[in-house]
Amino acid sequence: MLENYLPVLVFLGVGMAIGVLPIAMGFLLAPRNPYSEKLSPFECGFEAFEDARMKFDVRYYLVAILFIIFDLEIAFLFPWAIVLDEIGMVGFIAMAVFLGILVIGFIYEWMKGALEWE
Amino acid sequence: MTFELFIFYVFATVTVASAVVVISSRNPVYSALALVLTFFSCSGIWMLAEAEFLAIVLVLVYVGAVMVLFLFVVMMLDINIAVLSQGFMSYLPVGVGVALAVVAEMALLVGSKYFGADIIPPPERHVAEYNNTAELGNVLYTVHMYAFEIASVILLVAIIAAIVLTLRKRPLTRYQSPEKQVAVRREDRIRVINMKAETEE
Repeated sequence: MLENYLPVLVFLGVGMAIGVLPIAMGFLLAPRNPYSEKLSPFECGFEAFEDARMKFDVRYYLVAILFIIFDLEIAFLFPWAIVLDEIGMVGFIAMAVFLGILVIGFIYEWMKGALEWE
Repeated sequence: MTFELFIFYVFATVTVASAVVVISSRNPVYSALALVLTFFSCSGIWMLAEAEFLAIVLVLVYVGAVMVLFLFVVMMLDINIAVLSQGFMSYLPVGVGVALAVVAEMALLVGSKYFGADIIPPPERHVAEYNNTAELGNVLYTVHMYAFEIASVILLVAIIAAIVLTLRKRPLTRYQSPEKQVAVRREDRIRVINMKAETEE
């Protein structure tokens, strides 16, 4: 089975080389003359006013975690779609119950307004 | 050494090296990105074990979604690195204790008489037409149907918990309601007045 994935491995290798080689060549070949002024951070010529890291609103987290949950749901659908004609009605009803339980959660988050962005 | 074994060692080396970066990097964002690399090479190892669907799901779910969440959390924490590295010595005994316990457990498991290449034979390689996704689907939705439905309940609990914990209504925020904007008519906004032109006599 693994021989089918040899092109993927070659692809990984080529992608890695394209990503790493320019950085490595720049690191090795380019002239480097660092001094403190050159390395200090600045904004439009001024000293930086604040740290680059700042607090994000927790709403982004909520959107991300709701995305993960439905991402997982989709991941369950792929093997089901492949074998649906073999597992028959039992598998179909199993997935219907699975989706039905998750639709309860979907209705809950819709009604709660978790999908609104004020 | 076969080619497959060589590939395994490459992925395993990258996994261990990037996992070391995860715990040793001072910048938590670098740690999160090193964790992405760890997941990628882990997915390569799973692929070598012929778990093709799980390997792709690892990339899809963990690299694509969970790590984004990790980065959000790392950003939201607003970590001060100087404060973070202060308590290293005081936490060292606890950390060493936990590490020793884990190593002891692993040694017990690996060293026992139930584990080893001579007791559990390596699984035989499948033919090129073998479809791991179909094999998985054939048992997941029939034999393991109960566990599958439990998974949906766990996801439902996760949805409700995430909303209850993080959803805050902000009554003071100003926002526009698009339906009102669309429904507005010309008469609501401007009034045309007929009046005589004023002229200097």
